[in-house]
Amino acid sequence: MTIMDDRRTETPRIIDCHCHIASEDHTPRSFIEGSVANMVVALSAQGIPVNARKLTTMFLSKMQDPLGDGLVTEMAEGGIRKSVLLIADFTFALKDCKLTIEESFAKHLEVLRRHPDKFEVFGGVDPRWGKDGLALFERSLVEFGFRGFKVYPPCGFSPSDSALFPFYELCAFHHVPVLLHIGPTSPVLDFSISSPFLIDEAARLFPTVNFILAHGAVSFVEECVMLCRFRPNVYLDISGYQATLGYDPAASAVKHIVSLGISHKVLFGTDFPVFRLQGEQKNFVEVLTGKNGALEELNERERAMVLYENAERLIKSAVAVAA
Amino acid sequence: MELDAKFDERIMALIAEAVPGKFKKTKITMETSLQKELGLDSLGMLSLVFRFEELFGIDIAQMGIDVNIAKLKTVGDIMGVARDIISKVPLAREV
Repeated sequence: MTIMDDRRTETPRIIDCHCHIASEDHTPRSFIEGSVANMVVALSAQGIPVNARKLTTMFLSKMQDPLGDGLVTEMAEGGIRKSVLLIADFTFALKDCKLTIEESFAKHLEVLRRHPDKFEVFGGVDPRWGKDGLALFERSLVEFGFRGFKVYPPCGFSPSDSALFPFYELCAFHHVPVLLHIGPTSPVLDFSISSPFLIDEAARLFPTVNFILAHGAVSFVEECVMLCRFRPNVYLDISGYQATLGYDPAASAVKHIVSLGISHKVLFGTDFPVFRLQGEQKNFVEVLTGKNGALEELNERERAMVLYENAERLIKSAVAVAA
Repeated sequence: MELDAKFDERIMALIAEAVPGKFKKTKITMETSLQKELGLDSLGMLSLVFRFEELFGIDIAQMGIDVNIAKLKTVGDIMGVARDIISKVPLAREV
């Protein structure tokens, strides 16, 4: 059975390793407005009459899925078996968050329990929350069944900051991976600490922890590939490739990444709901797996690795430890 | 507003205006894919919506119409939505 067959049958196998709950509960308004600001600049330059409030309203209309029901529907249509929900902790850096990070974890647990077979959750905690944050993260692994750690350096810290080491020790103990944001983000945050090389020290000091560089097919590509090739415990995800589809409908960025001999390190991801104005999950899968898709030149083995086996392998060890 | 051939031409012209230079030579038909063949990403689609509103002097959101941009895949899809919107606005006019 091929991947394409999988997508059309009742037994989808694809794992989307990079998603978020589409709700303002977890993404503050300032973060969204910052992202919209770039759109306003681009559209205004073309002489298009647009205001930020209107664009924000359109974007927010795609952020009304707090229980994950809409995402589950889109996953089924796209042949996605499971998605990883990432909790980016903006609560220390941005002061307009609706929920505390503890409340955000609780909401994710609610979604996980509502759709137990559809999601895994990677909790994220800003290390500046200190011992309380560490305790919350440990609880998430031991009690909630979360399976990873999400790090968001543009909030104001390096991913190799020693304040994160106790978190990585927990990751090593519980055999769970770390997924960290790479590259630009909302302009309200700091781009200067988004380089993949900043993970190198932590990756070297914690060789049993697997680190996933988010957006590695579109941000700092050369550096991400280098780290994946020479650090056994560094991977990348391709989420964000949708941003390139306007000028490159064939997703050459993904085609390029998987042509470099690191298919065993590449994970499929979509960054739902960021590109929801552009299309649905099935459209983003189709670009890769359809006729002339970006993964067409891979053999079945390699395609399986990218679409689900690599993610499965990283998450499975956590499940085995928990069991 | 009368939904005649002239209306279709105006919509086709709007679409052509939103297409990035790299895809300008693509022949636009009702079946043409917006993303694959015309390179219209979310920003391109938004520009189309705003130019449409400007052309007909309307505000789609204020009309209470929910246009799901993500579901628009072909030029024909846009034409269908545009016709639907304008048919609900008898006083819409080209400005």
